[in-house]
Amino acid sequence: MFLEIITPDKKLFSGEVKSIVLPGTDGKFGILNHHAPIISSLKKGTVKVTDTVEKTQNFEIKGGVVEMLNNQVIILAE
Amino acid sequence: MASLKEVRNRITSISSTQQITSAMKMVSAAKLRRAQEAITQMRPYAKKLREILENLSASLDSNDGTFSKERPVKNVLLIVVTSNRGLAGAFNANIIKRAVALAKNEYKAYNVTVLCIGKKGNDFFRRTEFKIIGSDMPRKLNELFDKLTYDNVAPVAEKIMEVYAKGEFDKIDIIYNQFKNAAVQIPTVEQFLPVVATKTEGKSSKVDYIFEPSKEEIVKDLIPRSLKTQIYKALLDSHAAEHGARMTAMHKATDNAKDLLRELKLSYNKARQASITNEILEIVGGAEALNG
Repeated sequence: MFLEIITPDKKLFSGEVKSIVLPGTDGKFGILNHHAPIISSLKKGTVKVTDTVEKTQNFEIKGGVVEMLNNQVIILAE
Repeated sequence: MASLKEVRNRITSISSTQQITSAMKMVSAAKLRRAQEAITQMRPYAKKLREILENLSASLDSNDGTFSKERPVKNVLLIVVTSNRGLAGAFNANIIKRAVALAKNEYKAYNVTVLCIGKKGNDFFRRTEFKIIGSDMPRKLNELFDKLTYDNVAPVAEKIMEVYAKGEFDKIDIIYNQFKNAAVQIPTVEQFLPVVATKTEGKSSKVDYIFEPSKEEIVKDLIPRSLKTQIYKALLDSHAAEHGARMTAMHKATDNAKDLLRELKLSYNKARQASITNEILEIVGGAEALNG
């Protein structure tokens, strides 16, 4: 699936990934390929991204919102 | 006719002014490019945020939130966004004029308070009878433009929202120069609070989203975010517009200096020629007298 992490200042990440772990307001949750459409708010924490070659990257966010639709994930982070 | 020396002095002084204005023009052009880039960076974020919000509020009339509920208006706050430096043509004057007109006409019946972002506005409103707030902000308002990042602007926006939530003001407007292109700035008045209902263009998506934790919670979380983005966008716009305005002003100044220089050179040469002619006449006259 395709992931974009956008902040008001710049684009943090853009690319094909395998899995994402997000700090949801009600607790951590993960998104895998072909997840159902979801909109969730995020709290302060770490976004863990695993890309197609099993490399993980961490992004610290102060909060935000995530939208998943048609295998496209957009994280609006702060 | 002015003496040679006088004209020469003026030529030197004008050409050094011209050097300064053309240097300022170049600096502004470079800064304008960077400011424009910042706007482009921010656009996808703002667009997506609005999309999600429209999507949500279409199926939810949340007209009872702290920020969206209309209250009877008594106290109005005007956020006036100007620049810290002058020499930008009518950039600051336009905004100040607009703000004063608003306060004296439309908001005549209310208590108007002003919050200035940018030194020029502050300098003006300090000399008027309007009440000014903003000295207790988490960031120095005038220093915002030195390092214009979302992280710097957000605390200020939060503070403004907090003041509104406490009920000190019933309506907050933001007045700034919208950036259209390098030569055109549009003085704009936008309502900041209460939130203007987002207009959905009748194409609410049919997608069946899962909402975590719930629609209401997400909207509650998103509205402050979109408000912060609104202020940030106004500041970015104003910043880019400022450099655009300064670039145009300095371009004009450089052109004017060029015209002046041409005229002065002409009169300098005329004076020089006249004095040479005079000298020759004197020499010839003297020679004639000797011969005679």
